[in-house]
Amino acid sequence: MKYILYQLKRSPLAILGIAILLFWIFLAIFGPSLTPFTHTEMDSLHQMAAPGVNNHVLGTDSLGRDLLTRIIVGSRSILTVALLTSIASTFFGIIVGFSAGYFGGAIDRAVLRMLDIMMAIPPLVLAMVVLGVLGGSSIMSLSLIVSIAFIPATARVSRGSLLTCKSSEYVDAARIRGESHLYIMFVEILPNTIGPIIVEATARFAYSIMMVASLGFLGVGLQPPTPDWGMMVIENRPIITDAPWAVFYPALAIASLVISISLFSDFVSKVLIHEQ
Amino acid sequence: MNILKTFMRRLGSLIVTLVVMSVVIFVLVEIMPGDVAEMILGQSATPESLEALREARGLNDPIYQRYARWAGGILQGDLGESIYMRGVAINSILWRRVGHSVLLAFTAFIIFVPLSIFFGVLAGVKAKKLTDSIISFFGLATMALPEFVSGVFLIGLFAVQLRVFPIVSIIPIGESIFSNLNILILPALSITFVMFGYISRMQRSSMILVLNSDYIRAATLKGMPYKYVIFRHALKNALLPTITIIGMNMGWLFGGLIVVETLFAFPGMGSLLMTAIRTRDVPLIEACVLLITAIFAISTLVTDMLYGLLNPRIRYQGDAQ
Repeated sequence: MKYILYQLKRSPLAILGIAILLFWIFLAIFGPSLTPFTHTEMDSLHQMAAPGVNNHVLGTDSLGRDLLTRIIVGSRSILTVALLTSIASTFFGIIVGFSAGYFGGAIDRAVLRMLDIMMAIPPLVLAMVVLGVLGGSSIMSLSLIVSIAFIPATARVSRGSLLTCKSSEYVDAARIRGESHLYIMFVEILPNTIGPIIVEATARFAYSIMMVASLGFLGVGLQPPTPDWGMMVIENRPIITDAPWAVFYPALAIASLVISISLFSDFVSKVLIHEQ
Repeated sequence: MNILKTFMRRLGSLIVTLVVMSVVIFVLVEIMPGDVAEMILGQSATPESLEALREARGLNDPIYQRYARWAGGILQGDLGESIYMRGVAINSILWRRVGHSVLLAFTAFIIFVPLSIFFGVLAGVKAKKLTDSIISFFGLATMALPEFVSGVFLIGLFAVQLRVFPIVSIIPIGESIFSNLNILILPALSITFVMFGYISRMQRSSMILVLNSDYIRAATLKGMPYKYVIFRHALKNALLPTITIIGMNMGWLFGGLIVVETLFAFPGMGSLLMTAIRTRDVPLIEACVLLITAIFAISTLVTDMLYGLLNPRIRYQGDAQ
């Protein structure tokens, strides 16, 4: 703990990142009750209103909907999906990567082969086609499909970190004691390899935000009326010359959130890798 | 000799990958909700005419027969017909779009590769100094931005404020892309932003690693000019990991192309795939995704082979075995 505080004092960028991240989490939880508008309400007298007009702090879009409210409500869904995705993809990665690395041999080869094939298609293209084909994404289906698209990456990290301590004495000791494979994998090995996996999971969180925002931008993310940051950018794209704020503020929201998580993730990796 | 053997083995696994992917793509798209016959004839079609069309197009055949017919067509260079565009051969739309995308990717490539290597080397040489901090933070920030976010800021600056580049990348009807090259710049810069972070970061760390090695210290102690040491000795070795990273990011580049093309309404392969998904155009989705997979797989193979050729350690190791 002391070490974390010591490192934190030495890295102003990490403090900035954590502050922005906390700001967004605060807004996602309490924000909707702080604004006088709802995210679907159309102010027909103030369409494409500039920031500040008629209590619209960040202005309105072409339908007269309050941008600040939409961004705040949108932060809930993007944070939820990204959190679920990073947890689920790390979990799937551990299951796949650990079983491949632990048992080795034919299982390992088969799993690696399968991951290679999955990697033959860029994750964004994979998620986009599947979501587009299925249609009507919900928070659950979006998280599930993006996590599946991330499995090749997370499974490799888990497999790699399992291999580094598979031949340690304590693993042999457990095996001689007659512990089950599951016990050895999750009680003996997992706690010792958790560092790189946590680093990967926080980086995955940032990737998830990028991916979910991009999918929303491509129109295969969460469906209206749920406001989605990526979708807000593309739906206001035609009015970029008349109401640039309607495009820039959602874009800025995405940018600040992803950068803050990247800074946070860099800090986590610095702390965890030095501790070992 | 050995490289040839590795190449053949990799080529074999590439073909297996493509075959498996083609099955996956086909099955995935075929289970899509919605009836192709109804999409062609419209909502008002009679059940008899729908049934006749299904029969004529072989839609009632079992799925493996349809797959065989589709795959057979592809092997003969026939990608089928688009449904949304009323039976136009996919071959006649797709390749023009692919040409545009390749040109866009190439433009981005010749911007981001030298740029990120240069700044990566600079950051590596000036490690832990102000120059390094600025470059590294800029790289981290741009790397974190999805292409459409940096693209939107670029549009805001160069198209809305300064008006030096067009807001959308549309080619006027009857003109070719070569008479409209200015539409390439903003999309290419959006891709550059994302790639810059990854590549310059890699270049920086490999440069630092090389600069700390014994032979560089020896060269410096011998009294060689500093510039000569950096460019002749260090850079040559520090480039290798960068090449791998460039190859590995090809997948991101393709994903990025789709996003960027959608943002700028650029008439490339990515926006064609988006249209195909939006209009549920089954044969067109299949053709686009298969093509992206193939290009991606081939570029990975080329990177790996290039890495083997350039790295003497791997080359000689291979020969010794």
